[in-house]
Amino acid sequence: MNQAYNDRTAGEKPAVIALEGVSFGYDPEHPILHDINVSIPQGQWVSIVGPNGCGKSTLVKLLNALLPKSAGHISVCGHTLQEETVQSIRQCIGMVFQNPDNQFIGQTVEEDILFGLEGQCLSYEEMKERLEFYTGKLGIGHLLSKHPGELSGGQKQRVAIASILAMKPGIVIFDEASSMLDEGSRDELMGILRDMQAAGSYTILLITHDADEILASDRVLALHGGSIAADVSPAELFRDAELLEKCHLREPYTWQLARELESRGITVDVPASEKELIDTLWQYNYSK
Amino acid sequence: MNERLLLGRSIDTGSWVHKLDARSKITGMLLYVAIILLSTSWRSIGLVAVFSIVVMATTRIPLKYFIKAVKPLRYLMLFIFIVQALSVKEGEVLWSLGSFSLHAGGLRMGAFSVIRMLFLLTFTALLTFTTTPAKLNQGLEGVLAPLKKLRLSPDRITLMISIALRFIPTILDEAQIILKAQASRGADLKELPLKEKARMLVSLLVPVIASAFRRAQDLIYSMEARGFRMDAPRSRYHRLRWGAADTLFVAMFVVLGVAVVLL
Amino acid sequence: MAIQLQQVSYTYADRSMWKQTALHGINLEIAEGSLTGIAGATGSGKSTLLQLFNGILKPTEGTVQVLDVTITAGEKSPRLLPLRRRVGLVFQFPEQQMFEDTVEKDLCFGPLNFGVSLEEAKARARKSMTDMGLDLALLERNPFRLSGGQMRKAAIASVLAMDPDIVVLDEPTATLDPVSRAELIALLERLCREQGRTIIIVTHRMDELLPYADNWVLLKDGELAFQGSGGELAADPAILERCGLRVPQSLRYWQAAAERFGLSGEKPLLTAEGLAGRLAALLEERRTLNASGTEEMGNGHE
Repeated sequence: MNQAYNDRTAGEKPAVIALEGVSFGYDPEHPILHDINVSIPQGQWVSIVGPNGCGKSTLVKLLNALLPKSAGHISVCGHTLQEETVQSIRQCIGMVFQNPDNQFIGQTVEEDILFGLEGQCLSYEEMKERLEFYTGKLGIGHLLSKHPGELSGGQKQRVAIASILAMKPGIVIFDEASSMLDEGSRDELMGILRDMQAAGSYTILLITHDADEILASDRVLALHGGSIAADVSPAELFRDAELLEKCHLREPYTWQLARELESRGITVDVPASEKELIDTLWQYNYSK
Repeated sequence: MNERLLLGRSIDTGSWVHKLDARSKITGMLLYVAIILLSTSWRSIGLVAVFSIVVMATTRIPLKYFIKAVKPLRYLMLFIFIVQALSVKEGEVLWSLGSFSLHAGGLRMGAFSVIRMLFLLTFTALLTFTTTPAKLNQGLEGVLAPLKKLRLSPDRITLMISIALRFIPTILDEAQIILKAQASRGADLKELPLKEKARMLVSLLVPVIASAFRRAQDLIYSMEARGFRMDAPRSRYHRLRWGAADTLFVAMFVVLGVAVVLL
Repeated sequence: MAIQLQQVSYTYADRSMWKQTALHGINLEIAEGSLTGIAGATGSGKSTLLQLFNGILKPTEGTVQVLDVTITAGEKSPRLLPLRRRVGLVFQFPEQQMFEDTVEKDLCFGPLNFGVSLEEAKARARKSMTDMGLDLALLERNPFRLSGGQMRKAAIASVLAMDPDIVVLDEPTATLDPVSRAELIALLERLCREQGRTIIIVTHRMDELLPYADNWVLLKDGELAFQGSGGELAADPAILERCGLRVPQSLRYWQAAAERFGLSGEKPLLTAEGLAGRLAALLEERRTLNASGTEEMGNGHE
């Protein structure tokens, strides 16, 4: 089934990320990643899930050579990963990390966004245009002169995303980027992700434990003990109790409710809203 | 928390000093330090005071920020005053107790030292008040450019300073939380005898250092992921522009310096 | 009452020109042996409130009474060390406070500071490890070598080792995975129900605490916006939105079900399992009624 899903999603568009036989570890006896094979087409939103220590974070850090590769073949945006291509690959991958504070490089919002752009040696006009466009898009245009100490976690995460999108990467990786945020900021991040997906120009890799984020994605890679335990759709993941347990995940509340009802002989679809469910149940007829 | 943010924060009032090139401001400030050191008479310090107050007033930065800049050093200033007052044995004796005696000259010297220090602190604070960190960094890079001949990289030095300024407040805040957490576990520095305090310091320092390393690692990932390489060429968003006003600004300090020496 | 606040305000940097009021006129009561959840948007004063509970912060106005200790603004406070032992305060990311080279030493740090003998401290360390569901073999380990979830639990155990009557936790589940989060909440609930400790938890994931909390405290811009039972909160979830919080799904579904099926007087069922069970029972009841032909309840309303 896993292979089938992989085939179904691949082949539509060219793969922007391809890993063949990738392994990684400091100690050969206990590899952190073992023989990873995966290919991700352009424009796909992939959730990467698994318990802590399963190698999720290591996997994405290998893609842009933040960690030294130990074995296998990695290709990103048509470049095979090797010493000479690291800079080109880093240019097409943007990464948003977990801790909003530790990825804020500049002393002001403006400085932080410019950090990457100046590194790309862009002209003043180009930088100015991108600065205006992306701060506007993420609603942080009024915060340009603010120091990170004056911003909330959610605002800092928006700055990080603006900094990354301004560098125009084709692939954006979110490494548990929402886990330190409050509810409201998590919802906002979801909105940003949906916009990015709708734009169609981004391939998104999302490391997460959040059921809603997983549900919104196209495909789920479940890692366990350093290898890919499953390559499935979100629906397939949430229907597989054993896989959920293995990945230390819980299904969304609505899925749980539908499952609990079903186990009591009441079959309903996963409800989109509380009104839908209650209406269905109000008219529920056992005979049907 | 908000108070510590003043470290390296600019206050934008759009005055003429704000518009100057950071390099001229840094040069001016260096000259000012020299001038303060050279001002050894009441007359010269009076001149410096008039000059400083006029410049500070024209920046339209509220007085409270200057007070804030001085405040952390108030005990040091008090200490200097007392030491000077007690050690200088000139002029008439105002008060004496055993081997201690307070002379009028001592009081004058103490006041003089404190006034010099006051101006040194408030005036140099202008540099950070009127210059955004980014511009300050670039200015510093410009001023340090001659170091390239010594095979030292000004970029590295300014990057180091900029990251330090960025993370010191964060780490201080964190230290405060760890201090509270350990106090909640019964290790309250305030309520313990001195001998125990040293042991408790370990419970503070280890977590703070461990966390600083964690932050450093995260920061490196983040910088590298954004394509950063040491010594790679970079373009600049903010350009430094040396204008007539900048030449005038530096000239003002030169004139002041000459006047102070001659007085 | 375990904790009682009367007209409490707290202002940071009270005597400077940069003063900032974090809490304003709070009146609050937390009963002994209860499990209380505290929620509020970022910057609503939750963390400040917690620090008043063990005297880390002292009120700038009003009176804080915790157990038998009273701290009144402007008055000289009593010795706080005994209070700190009885009120365990767990800060956010408590694993970052660990500093010894073994878990056991770190767990003994608190008890030893409060003058407990080494032997007794070790016994307490073992007990609190068990309370947190951790293997005693981990005691010998270096805390920096534990997994994220284990480290979090060990750090909480280091506060429990002081044997506090009240345990106050600031977002104890932040950044953990969903299974570890549920586990931790269940462990904390057991501390409350089985050992009679008063547990106070600040959370920004109300969903996970709703089924367990006896009482809720909601803060908005430094003021108390709500104080009451989960049932009262379920009756008027709109208050959450006014506090800038999202209404948790479990609450929304319960409220919708309660309205349509007339369950408003009942104790809210805030787990999927509980709600599904109740709904299934209702439908079953209706089916039996229909079968006996007394009334066509379902169609009658349409």
